[in-house]
Amino acid sequence: MAAKTSDISLAKTFITGLWEENPVFRLLLGMCPTLAVTAAVKPAFTMGCCVIFVLICSNIVVSLMRNLLKPHLRILMFTLTIATFVTIADLFLKAFNPIMSDTLGPYVPLIIVNCIIIGRAETCASKNNLIVSIVDAIGMGIGFTMTLCVLASVRELLGTGKIFEIAVMPKAFVPWVAMSLPVGAFITLGLLLGLVNQITKTSD
Amino acid sequence: MNKIKNFFEQSWLLIVAAFCFGLLVAITNSALSERIEQNEREKLYSRMRALITDANNFEKALEQVPIPGKKGKIINTDIYKGLDDANNVTGYAFVAVGSGFADKIKIVIAVDDKCEKFLGFKVLSSNETPGFGSKIIEDNFGNQFKNVLAGKINLSKVGDPQVIDSRIVAITGATVSSQAVVNIFNTYIEEIKEQLQTKEFIKNGS
Repeated sequence: MAAKTSDISLAKTFITGLWEENPVFRLLLGMCPTLAVTAAVKPAFTMGCCVIFVLICSNIVVSLMRNLLKPHLRILMFTLTIATFVTIADLFLKAFNPIMSDTLGPYVPLIIVNCIIIGRAETCASKNNLIVSIVDAIGMGIGFTMTLCVLASVRELLGTGKIFEIAVMPKAFVPWVAMSLPVGAFITLGLLLGLVNQITKTSD
Repeated sequence: MNKIKNFFEQSWLLIVAAFCFGLLVAITNSALSERIEQNEREKLYSRMRALITDANNFEKALEQVPIPGKKGKIINTDIYKGLDDANNVTGYAFVAVGSGFADKIKIVIAVDDKCEKFLGFKVLSSNETPGFGSKIIEDNFGNQFKNVLAGKINLSKVGDPQVIDSRIVAITGATVSSQAVVNIFNTYIEEIKEQLQTKEFIKNGS
Protein backbone atom coordinates (compact mmCIF):
# COMPACT_ATOMS: atom_id res chain seq x y z
CA MET A 1 0.00 0.00 0.00
CA ALA A 2 2.84 2.31 0.99
CA ALA A 3 4.67 1.49 -2.23
CA LYS A 4 1.57 2.31 -4.27
CA THR A 5 1.13 5.64 -2.50
CA SER A 6 4.76 6.41 -3.16
CA ASP A 7 4.34 5.58 -6.86
CA ILE A 8 1.32 7.88 -7.10
CA SER A 9 3.25 10.62 -5.34
CA LEU A 10 6.17 10.21 -7.76
CA ALA A 11 3.85 10.30 -10.76
CA LYS A 12 2.25 13.46 -9.37
CA THR A 13 5.70 15.03 -8.87
CA PHE A 14 6.52 14.22 -12.49
CA ILE A 15 3.26 15.56 -13.92
CA THR A 16 3.47 18.72 -11.79
CA GLY A 17 6.51 19.83 -13.77
CA LEU A 18 4.77 19.20 -17.07
CA TRP A 19 1.64 21.25 -16.46
CA GLU A 20 0.60 22.36 -12.97
CA GLU A 21 3.95 23.96 -12.19
CA ASN A 22 5.31 24.19 -15.73
CA PRO A 23 8.45 26.32 -15.33
CA VAL A 24 7.63 28.65 -18.21
CA PHE A 25 3.83 28.77 -18.46
CA ARG A 26 2.98 28.60 -14.75
CA LEU A 27 6.07 29.77 -12.84
CA LEU A 28 7.48 32.16 -15.48
CA LEU A 29 11.02 30.97 -14.83
CA GLY A 30 13.85 30.61 -17.34
CA MET A 31 12.62 33.53 -19.44
CA CYS A 32 16.09 34.31 -20.85
CA PRO A 33 16.49 31.09 -22.91
CA THR A 34 12.73 30.98 -23.53
CA LEU A 35 12.90 34.24 -25.41
CA ALA A 36 16.41 33.94 -26.82
CA VAL A 37 16.75 30.47 -28.33
CA THR A 38 13.23 29.79 -29.61
CA ALA A 39 13.63 31.25 -33.10
CA ALA A 40 13.95 27.64 -34.34
CA VAL A 41 13.05 24.21 -32.96
CA LYS A 42 16.51 22.58 -33.14
CA PRO A 43 18.31 25.05 -30.83
CA ALA A 44 15.29 25.12 -28.52
CA PHE A 45 15.33 21.33 -28.23
CA THR A 46 19.10 21.28 -27.64
CA MET A 47 18.77 23.93 -24.94
CA GLY A 48 16.01 21.86 -23.33
CA CYS A 49 18.23 18.76 -23.33
CA CYS A 50 21.09 20.71 -21.73
CA VAL A 51 18.73 22.00 -19.02
CA ILE A 52 17.43 18.45 -18.37
CA PHE A 53 21.01 17.17 -17.98
CA VAL A 54 22.01 20.00 -15.62
CA LEU A 55 18.75 19.78 -13.67
CA ILE A 56 19.07 16.03 -13.07
CA CYS A 57 22.75 16.19 -12.11
CA SER A 58 22.37 19.19 -9.81
CA ASN A 59 19.27 17.73 -8.14
CA ILE A 60 21.14 14.45 -7.54
CA VAL A 61 24.14 16.21 -5.97
CA VAL A 62 22.03 18.63 -3.89
CA SER A 63 19.75 15.84 -2.68
CA LEU A 64 22.74 13.70 -1.65
CA MET A 65 24.35 16.47 0.37
CA ARG A 66 21.12 18.03 1.70
CA ASN A 67 21.82 16.94 5.30
CA LEU A 68 25.31 18.43 5.21
CA LEU A 69 24.32 21.85 3.83
CA LYS A 70 24.82 24.89 6.06
CA PRO A 71 21.82 27.19 5.55
CA HIS A 72 23.90 30.31 4.89
CA LEU A 73 26.15 28.53 2.39
CA ARG A 74 23.49 26.64 0.50
CA ILE A 75 23.04 29.11 -2.39
CA LEU A 76 26.81 29.12 -2.90
CA MET A 77 26.80 25.31 -2.98
CA PHE A 78 23.91 25.25 -5.45
CA THR A 79 25.65 27.71 -7.76
CA LEU A 80 28.92 25.78 -7.58
CA THR A 81 27.11 22.53 -8.41
CA ILE A 82 25.12 24.03 -11.27
CA ALA A 83 28.16 25.82 -12.75
CA THR A 84 30.08 22.54 -12.83
CA PHE A 85 27.43 20.66 -14.79
CA VAL A 86 26.73 23.58 -17.11
CA THR A 87 30.45 23.76 -17.95
CA ILE A 88 30.45 20.02 -18.67
CA ALA A 89 27.33 20.33 -20.87
CA ASP A 90 28.92 23.25 -22.72
CA LEU A 91 32.14 21.30 -23.33
CA PHE A 92 30.21 18.27 -24.62
CA LEU A 93 28.19 20.46 -26.95
CA LYS A 94 31.35 22.14 -28.28
CA ALA A 95 32.97 18.75 -28.83
CA PHE A 96 30.08 16.79 -30.33
CA ASN A 97 27.77 19.40 -31.83
CA PRO A 98 29.90 22.46 -32.62
CA ILE A 99 27.34 23.95 -35.02
CA MET A 100 24.63 23.95 -32.37
CA SER A 101 27.14 25.25 -29.82
CA ASP A 102 27.78 28.22 -32.13
CA THR A 103 24.05 28.74 -32.65
CA LEU A 104 23.29 28.77 -28.92
CA GLY A 105 26.31 30.98 -28.22
CA PRO A 106 26.36 32.34 -24.68
CA TYR A 107 22.98 30.89 -23.72
CA VAL A 108 24.41 27.52 -22.66
CA PRO A 109 26.83 29.04 -20.09
CA LEU A 110 23.91 31.25 -19.00
CA ILE A 111 22.05 28.14 -17.75
CA ILE A 112 24.13 28.72 -14.59
CA VAL A 113 21.82 31.61 -13.71
CA ASN A 114 18.66 29.88 -14.88
CA CYS A 115 16.14 30.21 -12.04
CA ILE A 116 14.52 26.86 -12.78
CA ILE A 117 17.60 24.92 -11.73
CA ILE A 118 18.46 26.87 -8.61
CA GLY A 119 14.74 26.99 -7.81
CA ARG A 120 14.37 23.20 -7.95
CA ALA A 121 17.55 22.75 -5.90
CA GLU A 122 16.10 25.03 -3.22
CA THR A 123 12.46 23.91 -3.18
CA CYS A 124 12.79 20.22 -4.01
CA ALA A 125 16.26 18.62 -4.00
CA SER A 126 17.42 20.18 -0.71
CA LYS A 127 14.30 18.85 1.05
CA ASN A 128 13.61 15.49 -0.60
CA ASN A 129 15.28 12.15 -1.16
CA LEU A 130 17.19 11.15 -4.28
CA ILE A 131 14.31 9.47 -6.16
CA VAL A 132 11.88 12.35 -5.70
CA SER A 133 14.60 14.84 -6.71
CA ILE A 134 15.39 12.92 -9.91
CA VAL A 135 11.70 12.55 -10.86
CA ASP A 136 11.14 16.26 -10.16
CA ALA A 137 14.15 17.15 -12.34
CA ILE A 138 12.91 14.97 -15.21
CA GLY A 139 9.37 16.39 -14.99
CA MET A 140 10.53 19.99 -14.80
CA GLY A 141 13.15 19.45 -17.52
CA ILE A 142 10.69 17.85 -19.93
CA GLY A 143 8.11 20.53 -19.11
CA PHE A 144 10.66 23.23 -19.93
CA THR A 145 11.81 21.49 -23.13
CA MET A 146 8.24 20.97 -24.35
CA THR A 147 7.39 24.62 -23.75
CA LEU A 148 10.50 25.77 -25.59
CA CYS A 149 9.68 23.48 -28.53
CA VAL A 150 6.06 24.66 -28.74
CA LEU A 151 7.18 28.30 -28.70
CA ALA A 152 9.94 27.60 -31.23
CA SER A 153 7.58 25.67 -33.56
CA VAL A 154 5.22 28.64 -33.80
CA ARG A 155 8.06 31.10 -34.33
CA GLU A 156 9.97 28.98 -36.86
CA LEU A 157 6.81 28.18 -38.80
CA LEU A 158 5.67 31.78 -39.09
CA GLY A 159 9.15 33.33 -39.20
CA THR A 160 10.65 31.09 -41.88
CA GLY A 161 7.86 28.82 -43.12
CA LYS A 162 9.86 25.82 -41.90
CA ILE A 163 9.81 23.28 -39.08
CA PHE A 164 13.09 21.56 -38.18
CA GLU A 165 14.50 23.46 -41.16
CA ILE A 166 12.11 21.61 -43.53
CA ALA A 167 9.87 23.88 -45.61
CA VAL A 168 6.24 23.12 -44.77
CA MET A 169 4.43 26.29 -45.79
CA PRO A 170 3.18 26.85 -49.36
CA LYS A 171 5.50 28.76 -51.69
CA ALA A 172 3.16 31.74 -51.66
CA PHE A 173 3.71 32.17 -47.92
CA VAL A 174 5.68 35.31 -47.05
CA PRO A 175 7.69 34.68 -43.85
CA TRP A 176 6.89 37.01 -40.95
CA VAL A 177 10.47 38.01 -40.21
CA ALA A 178 9.33 39.70 -36.98
CA MET A 179 8.58 36.25 -35.55
CA SER A 180 12.29 35.37 -35.73
CA LEU A 181 13.17 38.58 -33.89
CA PRO A 182 12.85 39.26 -30.13
CA VAL A 183 9.48 40.92 -30.73
CA GLY A 184 8.15 37.62 -32.09
CA ALA A 185 9.35 35.83 -28.96
CA PHE A 186 7.48 38.25 -26.68
CA ILE A 187 4.27 38.15 -28.74
CA THR A 188 4.25 34.33 -29.02
CA LEU A 189 5.01 33.88 -25.33
CA GLY A 190 2.27 36.35 -24.39
CA LEU A 191 -0.30 34.63 -26.59
CA LEU A 192 0.63 31.16 -25.33
CA LEU A 193 0.51 32.35 -21.70
CA GLY A 194 -2.94 33.77 -22.34
CA LEU A 195 -4.02 30.48 -23.93
CA VAL A 196 -2.68 28.41 -21.02
CA ASN A 197 -4.40 30.71 -18.52
CA GLN A 198 -7.66 30.36 -20.43
CA ILE A 199 -7.37 26.56 -20.50
CA THR A 200 -6.61 26.48 -16.76
CA LYS A 201 -9.55 28.80 -16.02
CA THR A 202 -11.91 26.66 -18.08
CA SER A 203 -10.74 23.40 -16.51
CA ASP A 204 -11.12 24.88 -12.99
CA MET B 1 42.44 28.13 17.12
CA ASN B 2 38.70 28.20 17.67
CA LYS B 3 38.33 30.54 14.71
CA ILE B 4 40.13 28.12 12.41
CA LYS B 5 38.09 25.20 13.76
CA ASN B 6 34.87 27.15 13.19
CA PHE B 7 36.00 28.10 9.68
CA PHE B 8 36.53 24.47 8.70
CA GLU B 9 33.36 23.33 10.43
CA GLN B 10 31.38 25.80 8.38
CA SER B 11 33.11 25.48 5.06
CA TRP B 12 34.54 21.97 4.77
CA LEU B 13 31.76 20.87 2.42
CA LEU B 14 32.33 23.87 0.18
CA ILE B 15 36.09 23.21 0.05
CA VAL B 16 35.64 19.50 -0.70
CA ALA B 17 32.91 20.19 -3.28
CA ALA B 18 35.01 22.89 -4.99
CA PHE B 19 37.93 20.46 -5.23
CA CYS B 20 35.78 17.59 -6.55
CA PHE B 21 33.90 19.76 -9.06
CA GLY B 22 37.14 21.39 -10.21
CA LEU B 23 38.61 17.94 -10.78
CA LEU B 24 35.50 16.83 -12.69
CA VAL B 25 35.63 19.87 -14.98
CA ALA B 26 39.39 19.44 -15.49
CA ILE B 27 39.00 15.77 -16.44
CA THR B 28 36.15 16.56 -18.86
CA ASN B 29 38.12 19.43 -20.37
CA SER B 30 41.26 17.37 -20.88
CA ALA B 31 39.21 14.56 -22.42
CA LEU B 32 37.40 16.85 -24.87
CA SER B 33 39.83 19.71 -25.52
CA GLU B 34 41.57 17.96 -28.41
CA ARG B 35 38.24 17.30 -30.11
CA ILE B 36 37.08 20.88 -29.54
CA GLU B 37 40.32 22.26 -31.01
CA GLN B 38 39.97 19.92 -33.98
CA ASN B 39 36.41 21.13 -34.55
CA GLU B 40 37.67 24.72 -34.57
CA ARG B 41 40.47 23.81 -37.00
CA GLU B 42 38.10 21.91 -39.30
CA LYS B 43 35.68 24.81 -39.33
CA LEU B 44 38.44 27.24 -40.29
CA TYR B 45 39.89 24.90 -42.93
CA SER B 46 36.49 24.19 -44.49
CA ARG B 47 35.88 27.94 -44.80
CA MET B 48 39.35 28.46 -46.32
CA ARG B 49 38.80 25.58 -48.74
CA ALA B 50 35.53 27.16 -49.85
CA LEU B 51 37.33 30.44 -50.56
CA ILE B 52 40.61 29.21 -52.07
CA THR B 53 39.14 26.48 -54.24
CA ASP B 54 42.45 25.53 -55.92
CA ALA B 55 44.12 24.75 -52.62
CA ASN B 56 44.32 21.19 -51.35
CA ASN B 57 46.42 21.95 -48.34
CA PHE B 58 46.90 24.86 -45.96
CA GLU B 59 49.98 25.89 -44.01
CA LYS B 60 50.65 28.75 -41.66
CA ALA B 61 52.63 31.37 -43.58
CA LEU B 62 52.94 33.92 -40.78
CA GLU B 63 52.04 33.59 -37.13
CA GLN B 64 50.69 36.23 -34.78
CA VAL B 65 50.74 39.14 -37.22
CA PRO B 66 49.92 42.31 -35.23
CA ILE B 67 47.00 44.31 -36.65
CA PRO B 68 46.35 47.77 -35.21
CA GLY B 69 42.68 47.87 -34.23
CA LYS B 70 40.42 50.49 -32.71
CA LYS B 71 41.81 52.74 -29.94
CA GLY B 72 45.35 51.48 -30.55
CA LYS B 73 44.43 47.92 -29.58
CA ILE B 74 46.57 45.29 -31.28
CA ILE B 75 44.88 42.15 -32.62
CA ASN B 76 47.07 39.21 -33.57
CA THR B 77 46.16 36.90 -36.40
CA ASP B 78 47.76 34.04 -38.34
CA ILE B 79 48.08 34.10 -42.12
CA TYR B 80 47.59 30.77 -43.90
CA LYS B 81 48.74 29.95 -47.40
CA GLY B 82 46.73 27.64 -49.62
CA LEU B 83 48.82 25.14 -51.60
CA ASP B 84 47.85 23.10 -54.65
CA ASP B 85 49.07 19.59 -55.52
CA ALA B 86 52.38 20.95 -56.89
CA ASN B 87 52.89 22.95 -53.67
CA ASN B 88 52.31 26.26 -55.44
CA VAL B 89 50.70 29.01 -53.41
CA THR B 90 47.17 29.62 -54.67
CA GLY B 91 46.08 32.18 -52.12
CA TYR B 92 46.31 33.48 -48.57
CA ALA B 93 43.68 33.49 -45.86
CA PHE B 94 43.45 35.00 -42.39
CA VAL B 95 40.96 35.27 -39.56
CA ALA B 96 39.62 38.77 -38.92
CA VAL B 97 37.45 40.04 -36.08
CA GLY B 98 35.43 43.23 -35.66
CA SER B 99 32.41 44.68 -33.90
CA GLY B 100 29.05 43.95 -35.45
CA PHE B 101 25.56 45.17 -34.57
CA ALA B 102 25.04 42.85 -31.62
CA ASP B 103 28.34 41.13 -30.99
CA LYS B 104 31.77 40.47 -32.51
CA ILE B 105 31.82 39.17 -36.06
CA LYS B 106 34.58 36.68 -36.82
CA ILE B 107 35.28 36.01 -40.47
CA VAL B 108 37.96 34.42 -42.61
CA ILE B 109 39.13 36.54 -45.54
CA ALA B 110 40.99 35.15 -48.52
CA VAL B 111 43.15 36.92 -51.11
CA ASP B 112 44.82 35.57 -54.26
CA ASP B 113 48.46 34.43 -54.41
CA LYS B 114 49.70 37.95 -55.27
CA CYS B 115 47.41 39.62 -52.75
CA GLU B 116 45.95 41.67 -55.58
CA LYS B 117 42.33 40.56 -55.31
CA PHE B 118 39.99 39.37 -52.61
CA LEU B 119 38.72 35.84 -53.07
CA GLY B 120 35.88 36.55 -50.67
CA PHE B 121 35.04 35.93 -47.03
CA LYS B 122 33.20 33.39 -44.91
CA VAL B 123 31.70 33.94 -41.49
CA LEU B 124 33.15 31.90 -38.63
CA SER B 125 30.88 33.32 -35.94
CA SER B 126 28.31 36.07 -35.72
CA ASN B 127 25.28 36.88 -33.59
CA GLU B 128 23.76 39.44 -35.94
CA THR B 129 19.98 40.02 -35.97
CA PRO B 130 18.18 37.02 -37.49
CA GLY B 131 16.56 37.91 -40.80
CA PHE B 132 18.59 41.11 -41.21
CA GLY B 133 22.25 41.21 -40.14
CA SER B 134 22.42 37.42 -40.29
CA LYS B 135 22.26 37.80 -44.10
CA ILE B 136 26.00 38.60 -44.13
CA ILE B 137 26.52 34.85 -44.44
CA GLU B 138 24.52 34.71 -47.67
CA ASP B 139 26.13 34.55 -51.10
CA ASN B 140 24.22 37.60 -52.36
CA PHE B 141 26.30 39.73 -50.04
CA GLY B 142 29.50 37.65 -49.98
CA ASN B 143 29.84 37.45 -53.78
CA GLN B 144 30.30 41.22 -53.95
CA PHE B 145 33.75 40.83 -52.39
CA LYS B 146 34.99 38.26 -54.91
CA ASN B 147 37.64 39.60 -57.30
CA VAL B 148 37.53 43.09 -55.80
CA LEU B 149 40.96 44.75 -55.74
CA ALA B 150 42.61 44.01 -52.40
CA GLY B 151 42.61 47.43 -50.79
CA LYS B 152 40.28 49.80 -49.02
CA ILE B 153 36.62 49.19 -49.83
CA ASN B 154 33.56 51.23 -48.97
CA LEU B 155 29.87 50.69 -48.39
CA SER B 156 27.03 52.08 -50.42
CA LYS B 157 23.34 51.98 -49.52
CA VAL B 158 22.29 51.93 -53.16
CA GLY B 159 23.76 50.27 -56.24
CA ASP B 160 23.89 47.03 -58.13
CA PRO B 161 25.37 44.18 -56.07
CA GLN B 162 26.25 42.36 -59.31
CA VAL B 163 28.83 45.04 -60.23
CA ILE B 164 32.22 44.02 -58.90
CA ASP B 165 34.09 47.05 -57.60
CA SER B 166 35.31 48.47 -54.32
CA ARG B 167 31.80 49.75 -53.56
CA ILE B 168 29.90 47.13 -51.59
CA VAL B 169 26.12 47.44 -51.59
CA ALA B 170 24.66 47.16 -48.08
CA ILE B 171 22.07 44.55 -47.12
CA THR B 172 18.66 46.18 -46.85
CA GLY B 173 17.81 46.69 -43.18
CA ALA B 174 21.30 45.66 -42.06
CA THR B 175 23.53 48.62 -42.86
CA VAL B 176 25.37 48.33 -39.53
CA SER B 177 26.24 44.65 -40.09
CA SER B 178 27.26 45.34 -43.71
CA GLN B 179 29.41 48.27 -42.58
CA ALA B 180 30.95 46.06 -39.89
CA VAL B 181 32.12 43.54 -42.50
CA VAL B 182 33.54 46.32 -44.70
CA ASN B 183 35.32 47.80 -41.66
CA ILE B 184 36.86 44.42 -40.85
CA PHE B 185 38.24 44.20 -44.40
CA ASN B 186 39.65 47.73 -44.19
CA THR B 187 41.21 47.18 -40.77
CA TYR B 188 43.13 44.10 -41.87
CA ILE B 189 43.97 44.23 -45.55
CA GLU B 190 46.68 46.94 -45.69
CA GLU B 191 48.58 45.44 -42.75
CA ILE B 192 48.30 41.89 -44.09
CA LYS B 193 49.55 43.04 -47.49
CA GLU B 194 52.47 44.88 -45.90
CA GLN B 195 53.42 41.88 -43.78
CA LEU B 196 53.31 39.54 -46.79
CA GLN B 197 55.51 41.99 -48.72
CA THR B 198 57.95 42.46 -45.84
CA LYS B 199 58.37 38.72 -45.41
CA GLU B 200 58.67 38.39 -49.20
CA PHE B 201 55.70 36.13 -49.73
CA ILE B 202 54.54 38.59 -52.39
CA LYS B 203 56.49 41.11 -54.42
CA ASN B 204 56.59 44.82 -53.51
CA GLY B 205 54.18 46.83 -55.56
CA SER B 206 51.86 43.89 -56.04
